Amino acid sequence: MITQKIHRSVVAVLALTFSVSAIAAEKIVIKGSDTLGAKLVPQLAEEFKAQKAKDGVEVIFEIAAEGSSTGIAAVIDGTADIGMASRDAKSTEISKGMVKGVKMESITIAKDGIAVIVNVANPLEGISSREVEKIFTGSLVSWSSLNGKSGDVSVYTRNTSSGTYGAFQKLAMRNRDYASSSQKMAGNEQIASEVGTNANGIGYVGLAYLGTKGTKALPVDGVSPEKPDYSYSRPLYYYVDGNKEIAPIVQEFIDFTLSEGGQEIVKGVHFIGIK
Amino acid sequence: MSDSNRYDLSSKQPTFFGLTKDTALKGLFGGNAFISIIVLGLITLFLFKEGAGFFGQYRESLTLYRKSGLEYVNLMRDEQNAHASLTQFLNNIQSDRSTYYSEQGMAFSDVKKELSALDGFIYDFEDLGYELESYVQEMNELVMNARDAYQSNEDYKIFKANLEREGRMDEAANVVIAPVDLATYVAQLRAGEDTFLALSQSLVSGAKELILTIPSVEGEAFQAELDRFKNVVGSFFYEVPSFEKRIREWDRSLEVGLMEGVTSFIFGREWITGSAIQDWYGVIPLLGGSLTVAGIAMFFAVPLGVGAAIYVNQVANPKEQAFIKPYIEFISAIPSVVIGFFGIAIFGEFVRFLTNHESLSWISFFPISERLNAFTAGALLALMAIPTIFTLAEDALNNVPKAYKEASSAMGATRLQTILRIMVPTALSGIISAVLLGFGRVIGETMVVLLCAGNRIALPDFTKGLGAAFEPVHTMTGIIAQELGEVEHGSIHYRALFMIGLTLFCLSLLINYVAQKIVIKYQISRG
Repeated sequence: MITQKIHRSVVAVLALTFSVSAIAAEKIVIKGSDTLGAKLVPQLAEEFKAQKAKDGVEVIFEIAAEGSSTGIAAVIDGTADIGMASRDAKSTEISKGMVKGVKMESITIAKDGIAVIVNVANPLEGISSREVEKIFTGSLVSWSSLNGKSGDVSVYTRNTSSGTYGAFQKLAMRNRDYASSSQKMAGNEQIASEVGTNANGIGYVGLAYLGTKGTKALPVDGVSPEKPDYSYSRPLYYYVDGNKEIAPIVQEFIDFTLSEGGQEIVKGVHFIGIK
Repeated sequence: MSDSNRYDLSSKQPTFFGLTKDTALKGLFGGNAFISIIVLGLITLFLFKEGAGFFGQYRESLTLYRKSGLEYVNLMRDEQNAHASLTQFLNNIQSDRSTYYSEQGMAFSDVKKELSALDGFIYDFEDLGYELESYVQEMNELVMNARDAYQSNEDYKIFKANLEREGRMDEAANVVIAPVDLATYVAQLRAGEDTFLALSQSLVSGAKELILTIPSVEGEAFQAELDRFKNVVGSFFYEVPSFEKRIREWDRSLEVGLMEGVTSFIFGREWITGSAIQDWYGVIPLLGGSLTVAGIAMFFAVPLGVGAAIYVNQVANPKEQAFIKPYIEFISAIPSVVIGFFGIAIFGEFVRFLTNHESLSWISFFPISERLNAFTAGALLALMAIPTIFTLAEDALNNVPKAYKEASSAMGATRLQTILRIMVPTALSGIISAVLLGFGRVIGETMVVLLCAGNRIALPDFTKGLGAAFEPVHTMTGIIAQELGEVEHGSIHYRALFMIGLTLFCLSLLINYVAQKIVIKYQISRG
């Protein structure tokens, strides 16, 4: 008897949950860049979920962060509602979309700043963009004319396959080649730790890595990296299919991202807000 | 009982699917060997298949480089770079002076004042090249835009072909392909040749005038440097006509040779990828880096490994043997990523700390500022090569017939004489092949060099002598590990990495082949 009762109640509970989810659960599939998918979008999703829960709507997120290319491909294939990207869609990708009747539309949701960092022992308090270009292209090899300390400049960069590598080249070096003496590091942490221990080091990192022990960020042309008019920043996008009608819940999420609350979260994870 | 008696030839063995136990076992082992060979063959085939397309693609890329006029722009840039290196020369003098005055205890503001006279001259000298630089930059933009338009047009052609293949003719017809004629852009480029030559002339005449106003500086050494600068500028003036000649003689229609892809890979001194201008795939800096690191590793590993082998085999008592042998062989059980991690966290820092020590300051290239360099990686790799060398060298010594040693002792030779004159020479072929195999181990190692070599894609500056060992380098194995994960499948960059892999493959094949040859050829006769 008792077991039968339990059985019945379990069935009832299950039926209840199923009926509730059938009424109000909505799903958003987001794929793409790991720059966005590591922290920002999951946090936005949590906050959005909490807000919608108050209205009695349950939102289920499916987030996969495997690189910008996968995000754009997913929008083209129609397997994601939103594609996250830290770069512009390439012309080959746009044409591939057109073959499938997908119009790639980008929405800028934040900016990713690339900060120039040096060792704390470096007396430099700021740097000009022309000097940055000279250092990273290798035409300025000694610190002495900049800060009066002797020593050869040690330049640390990301490796060639990183998106930041290309972005910095475009933003700071007028597309010129990196100095052959530059050292290609595996990631932001490694650049920060090398600069942190080498008094002659200079490198660039994402804003989340500012404040690594032994390093300091240099304002470029007098603008510090967190400011919206900082020059070394690249836009981060949501990509959607412009030919398809966007589901209301997805539109709401996009609006939430661009709202004041959403942009607060953007700043909280060390990106630059768009407002 | 009869079925368990295997000497009973008359009785029938039990069979399973028509196989007796013996044939089944034979088939099993033979099959395993066969599968291994097939798999290895497939891997080799795959390597060649993926790498093979490289030379053709590279030649195509070089052809576009010429046809689009980028090569022409680079010729102009050569002159600009020559001027920039003169400015560099002056800046270096200023750096030296600044260091000198700071060491005299002068405040930075005073140092600045001291340098200001020459500073003014340097700024003027640098500004002379400014117009030339912006002209080159402008032409570069022009040509790059043309090339990019050309390339995206090629993409559209593929797009159109794809649509047609899917049978969507209407849409395919809508794809507009506006042919980009690179020749018109190059014509535009060449129309500006006179402008460039005029700029070049005004640079020279400006510099000739400016050089007369060069201020003199205090200190004989600095003045001597400045005088040297005048000579260098003189040789720049002498060089300019040859720059101009090459620009005038540049010919777009010149065919890129069939072997150009091959030669610019093998002899190319630049490995530049992800460039907006032109990618270069030259193996020299990577090969040089690999060999430098391996050389440093062998410098430490050979004496230590061979020495330990001789000691253990000839001198040590059984108790020592029982301790040393497994201990050294245990090193090879440490995963290479752990050794690399140790290198980053502790050893690199330790090397830098040591070079900063005062008692070593008499060495000209100390202190070093990079903790991750060829020396750090090489020293750690030595650790990994020692077990290989030790084990194989010890085996070689073991293989020397006992009679040799006994005969030597009977003749009244001391133990040292026996070791140096009899044992080691007899086992030399084995020892050399042990060293070669150790070298092969080192050159193929990836994790340690990726983490600890510093990853600078340039040949070390060998003019610094031993100081070159403390410069960061990049290696063939390291670049594959670092870049292969993210390159576009089938692209030229992807194939270039496979070519690097093939080069490594051939290198280790050669090493193993030579090692085996040596062993066989100089084998001691047992007669």
